[in-house]
Amino acid sequence: MASVEIQNVRKSYGTVETIKGVSVDVPDGAFVVLVGPSGCGKSTLLRMIAGLEEISGGTISIGGRVINDVEPKHRDIAMVFQNYALYPHMTVAENMAFSLHLAKKSRQETDMRVSEAARILGLSDYLDRYPKQLSGGQRQRVAMGRAIVRNPQVFLFDEPLSNLDAALRVQMRAELKDLHRRLKTTSVYVTHDQTEAMTMADRIVVMRNGVVEQVGAPLDLYDRPDNMFVAGFIGSPAMNFLRGTVAETGVDLAFGQGARLPLGARLTPGTEAVLGIRPEHLSVSDQGEISGQITNVEPTGSETFIQAEVGGQKLSTLVRDRIAARPGDPIAFSLKSDTVHLFDPASGQRIGRSPSAGSTPATR
Amino acid sequence: MSTVTDRTRALGMARIRRRSFVDLSIDVVLTLFCLLMILPLVLLVSNAFKTPQEMLAWPPTVIPDVPTLSNFKAVLADTPLLRWVANSLSFALLSTLCILMTSAITGYILGKFRHRLLSVFFAIILATAIVPFEVYMIPLYFQAQSLGVLNSTWGLLLGYLVMSFGIFLVRQNVIHSIPDELLEAARIDGAGELWIFWRIVLPLLRGTLGALGILAFFQAWTSFAWPLIVATTRETYTIEVGLALFQTGFTVDLGRLSAASAVVLIPSVTLFVLLRRNFVQGVASTGLKE
Repeated sequence: MASVEIQNVRKSYGTVETIKGVSVDVPDGAFVVLVGPSGCGKSTLLRMIAGLEEISGGTISIGGRVINDVEPKHRDIAMVFQNYALYPHMTVAENMAFSLHLAKKSRQETDMRVSEAARILGLSDYLDRYPKQLSGGQRQRVAMGRAIVRNPQVFLFDEPLSNLDAALRVQMRAELKDLHRRLKTTSVYVTHDQTEAMTMADRIVVMRNGVVEQVGAPLDLYDRPDNMFVAGFIGSPAMNFLRGTVAETGVDLAFGQGARLPLGARLTPGTEAVLGIRPEHLSVSDQGEISGQITNVEPTGSETFIQAEVGGQKLSTLVRDRIAARPGDPIAFSLKSDTVHLFDPASGQRIGRSPSAGSTPATR
Repeated sequence: MSTVTDRTRALGMARIRRRSFVDLSIDVVLTLFCLLMILPLVLLVSNAFKTPQEMLAWPPTVIPDVPTLSNFKAVLADTPLLRWVANSLSFALLSTLCILMTSAITGYILGKFRHRLLSVFFAIILATAIVPFEVYMIPLYFQAQSLGVLNSTWGLLLGYLVMSFGIFLVRQNVIHSIPDELLEAARIDGAGELWIFWRIVLPLLRGTLGALGILAFFQAWTSFAWPLIVATTRETYTIEVGLALFQTGFTVDLGRLSAASAVVLIPSVTLFVLLRRNFVQGVASTGLKE
């Protein structure tokens, strides 16, 4: 096991820079998830750690050793790919033993490590099968097994669950997390699925357009997003954003046609602001401060997702109670001011106060 | 109620009848074409066992009335037929081996490695495919002459070491059927490039190389112009050149020609039967064929 330090790393293809100075520390034994939309550079960063892409600038160290110019095979890492990358002409056992053969391990040690990995992953009965004879979940486990037998310092995962169906993904997510708890190997995991990131990570690194937007524990990112991008990306359904103007110093934020929210933040009157509120933090109430009209209702059984229009802006909410609501009905929402996030509409950055920290100065 | 059921059943029966009629028509047409394709081969083999009189008889018989081995005996006694078959076999096998090696390595490199010049190389290789062999046959002959390899298998091989179509076929297969991740996984696992080629790429190209092997083998086996000018002594003829001897300016010795041709067919048919599955798979997976 080892820590991974990424310092001011850049990647350019010709004149196009795809990674623009990224710095991330992955502590020893941590499970860090790189998350972001397609094209944000998360996979490229992972491939640079693996040595599959050259590093245009900055340094990457594993266990204190700079590995910029070290061959992938000498980095002491193991990688699990999205499409599993199992050798189709080799059995499960041969797939898992491949790296050990190359490392010229004794037959006895190879057999021991393969059977141990197979036992951990529940693959003992499938060692003689070929990858095409296995289900998606089993193939995923073989890919994991191939990584485990090497006993590497770092595991790298490149969207390993993307090819699985929804139910299997949830199951494998739990298995991977459980495996990490047992092996405690430093892991860097890439996904575009924020739910995967939230449920698996010790720390999440949110990336966009080749830069890191925020690094933090899953709930920190949820409770205190640094900017509108992170606020919108983390959490499902996504956070509501309402544009408005501060009406009275430190009290109200007026938006649309007269709806007004009480706020504790001290803001200069006339300031433009974006108010962020998560759907699950809005409650439906007849005495609610915000009133509008329902545009869509999506019941899922355990909860109901309601979309409404308030002062010309869209607002969605998630309620656990079964309510008799139909599109076109009037609706009123109430909210607690400590669950509201404020952002600067120009920069998208957070303005001052934290929902959990109560009222704090409005300057950033 | 029962009328409606009856009508539905009648419609269903009509549909089944129509479908089986279509199926039957397809079978008839395919059988007809199969017969047309295979008939010359059947007649050739049958002629080899006929007497000269029966061969010229009308209508021709498929199964000879009086089967005879005299044609085979004559061919084997009067000509070094087996020597020619051996010459052809060694030439075709060596050519196949060379083409498989050059195509596999070049196709893999062109398919999986990134370098500015590689696309230029690929374009040049493709361009050579449109130049007919006859155009550079004569300069190649002088090369063979200056190398002193005329009248030898090496001389024959000189024109059949590389096959641009083979390189193209392997490149397309490498791109479509070997994901980059597989090679990257092997690199992380600690494999070197040669090891990856030998242990990962080659086994996965088995079907393609099987198909290419058959194409290459028959290309050499059936080649005529190049062996005709390179091999000038009776002992160094290939079977194709040897067969042409049965046809002189005035006569064609049909019986002996058929017998010799039937002998020549044996390795071709054997090879095709052995590698049939590879051949179909390899060619079908690219949707390409020469």
